[in-house]
Amino acid sequence: MRALVSLSVAAVLLSLSLAAQSRSTRPDFSGYWGAGRPFRAAERDPRPLPPNTVLLTDAGAPELAAGNFGGLIVKPAALAAARKWKPADEMTLSKACQPPSLVYTMQGPFPMEIDQATELIVMRLEYYDLVRVIYLDGRSHPPAAAPHTKMGHSVGRWDGATLIVDTTHVAASTITNNGLDHGENVHFVERFWLSDDGKTLLARQEFEDADTIDNRGARNVAWDRQAGEHIYPYECDPTFVLNYGNKK
Amino acid sequence: MPKALSSLALAALLGSAVVAAHHSFAVFFDDTKTIAITGSVTEFRFSNPHAIIALEVKNKSGMVEEWKAETNAVTLLKRRGWTKDSLKAGEVVTVDGWPSRDGANYMRMRTIKKADGTVLGTPVSNQRAD
Repeated sequence: MRALVSLSVAAVLLSLSLAAQSRSTRPDFSGYWGAGRPFRAAERDPRPLPPNTVLLTDAGAPELAAGNFGGLIVKPAALAAARKWKPADEMTLSKACQPPSLVYTMQGPFPMEIDQATELIVMRLEYYDLVRVIYLDGRSHPPAAAPHTKMGHSVGRWDGATLIVDTTHVAASTITNNGLDHGENVHFVERFWLSDDGKTLLARQEFEDADTIDNRGARNVAWDRQAGEHIYPYECDPTFVLNYGNKK
Repeated sequence: MPKALSSLALAALLGSAVVAAHHSFAVFFDDTKTIAITGSVTEFRFSNPHAIIALEVKNKSGMVEEWKAETNAVTLLKRRGWTKDSLKAGEVVTVDGWPSRDGANYMRMRTIKKADGTVLGTPVSNQRAD
C-alpha cells in the first residue's frame, strides 16, 4: 500500500512538473506589435503549405486589384457577386465604418497590443478598435446557430512554442477587399510563433469556406515588437464618405 | 434543388449580407499614374478611416475646381508627425499622389508640400497603409 501511495505521489509530481515545464516553454506574446507586414525573405513557416491551399500575396500593405482573387478558386455564385460589386457601393454612411472580419483585419498594416494570460489571450487591434478574445481554457466553439461576429469565436492551444488558434462563427465579410466575400461558415486557423530573437511575431493564417471557394487560402503575416508604444483609438467617422464622388 | 437555383439562392444570400466596407487603394486609385495639384486648403478633416484635405485648385483654363486628397488613417499619420493642426484653411499646398480610377477630382496623397517647401510628416512608404 505504501509503495502504491508513493507511486501515486510521484505520478502527480511528475504531471505537475511536466505541466510547469510546458508553461515555461510558452513564449510571451504580450506587448505592442507594429503594423502587420508580409514575411521577409529570411522569414519562413517551416511547415509546407497544406494541399489545395494558395498563399495570397496581399499580406500587410499590398492589395489585390479588382478581379484578382489571388488564386482562390471562387464558386460561381460568389464570383457573380464579386463581379457585380462596385467600389463606390462601399462609400456610404452605413458601410464606411463597418470593419472587415478577422480574415482581412489580421493581415492588414495596422498595429496591435496583446495581453496574454494562462487561460486567455486578448488581442486589441488598432484597426477599427477591434478586440479579439482567444480562449485557452479548453472550451469548445458554441453551437453552429450561435451569433456570428466580425471577430468570431476563437479557441487556442499551445503546440510547444506555437500558439494555434481556431476560429469559427465569423460574420460574412471581405476576403480580398475587392468584392469577394466569405460566408458565415468560414473556418480560420492561425499559427503564431516568435522569431528566434523574440522581436518579431510571425503568423500563418489559413482559411476555408466551402460556400465560397473550392480551395483554401493562406497568408503569412509578421509584426515587429516595439517597446513603449501603444495602439491609438481608431474612432471611425463615417461622414468621411461625404467627401467622395466630387465628379469633374 | 437544381444547381443553378441553389447558386442563385446563395448569390442572393451573399448579396443581402451586410459585409465589410473597407476602402481599397488598389480598387479606388490608379497606381500606374501620379498627379500633382497645387491649391488653397479649404478644409482639413483629421479623422479615420482617412484624413481628407479639401482644396481649391485653378485648372488650365483658370477656372477654380474643388479637389479632395485622401490620406492614410489618422492613427498612422500621428506616428508620422501629423496633428489636427498640421494644415489651416487658406494655406497653399502642393499635393502629389495617385488619381482616382473613376475620374473624380479625388486622389490619394503621397506627399504634401507647403508653400515654403516644408514637407508635412514622414512620407508614406506604401500606398495603402489605410
